[in-house]
Amino acid sequence: MKDIARQSMSIKVESMDMLNAQIKMEAHASALYLAMASWCEQNGFFTSAKFFYKQTEEEREHMMKIFNFLIDTGGNPISPEVTNINHDYSSIVDVFESTLEHEIKVTKSIHNIVKKARELGDITAERFLDWFVMEQVEEENTIRDILDMIEVTGTEGVGLQMIDNQVAEWID
Amino acid sequence: MNVILQSTYYTLYQATNERCFYIDFGQKKIRMPFCQLLSLRHKVMSIDIEDHFDSDLNTHGFEVLTLCNKEHLFILNTLEVLDLKNLVEYGFMAIGLSSKTEALNL
Ligand SMILES: [Fe+2]
Repeated sequence: MKDIARQSMSIKVESMDMLNAQIKMEAHASALYLAMASWCEQNGFFTSAKFFYKQTEEEREHMMKIFNFLIDTGGNPISPEVTNINHDYSSIVDVFESTLEHEIKVTKSIHNIVKKARELGDITAERFLDWFVMEQVEEENTIRDILDMIEVTGTEGVGLQMIDNQVAEWID
Repeated sequence: MNVILQSTYYTLYQATNERCFYIDFGQKKIRMPFCQLLSLRHKVMSIDIEDHFDSDLNTHGFEVLTLCNKEHLFILNTLEVLDLKNLVEYGFMAIGLSSKTEALNL
């Protein structure tokens, strides 16, 4: 009997399920950063808003990278439902701290999929995630640098305005 | 046509010459290209069976399942949903696309 199933799909269904969950997580991140851009615009942090517009696009690209991988491997990518986007932040510091927290969550999730894919012996899925593992190092580092800059600048007086101006350094 | 798996109510077949699968739902046998089988899997796995035991969440204990781009429509009761979930899980193990396939061969 010919193996029609294996001829149709080159990763395990469990890997596909985890990658669909990751699609959802990237979509959630994209929506979250758009909400942060909205907050920044409304609170006068216009450079930070630009930073989050860039982030929102990047997260969408991450999502599409996984989406296309599922297409390439013969899987069934699911267009994600995104709900529960927080729009409330107590300060610009809160915005960036929430960003770092979220990126750490994403890193953990990706590491988890890598470990599980390894357990499943799904080499294709495991190797695909290499790029994401390294991308997360960069993402976390960017936000950590911004938080360091905030710490050094301080939020007193013109500090907040200086912070916003300096965020420009991380937009390219 | 080869039988891949038979559950209480359903049978999954592979039609090698047509490069597709069939599921016998009792009332009718449905032809399913592989992508439709994946779509079925997603729909069936998304059904929250817990809702069937909560009269507020699922008043009548039925699920409406549309298949193959709305070509077919089924109304399933709780036992049928559970059985279909089984067919999907073990079916993907049997066709070798689930990591649990190896466990099955032991
Ligand atoms: Fe991302």
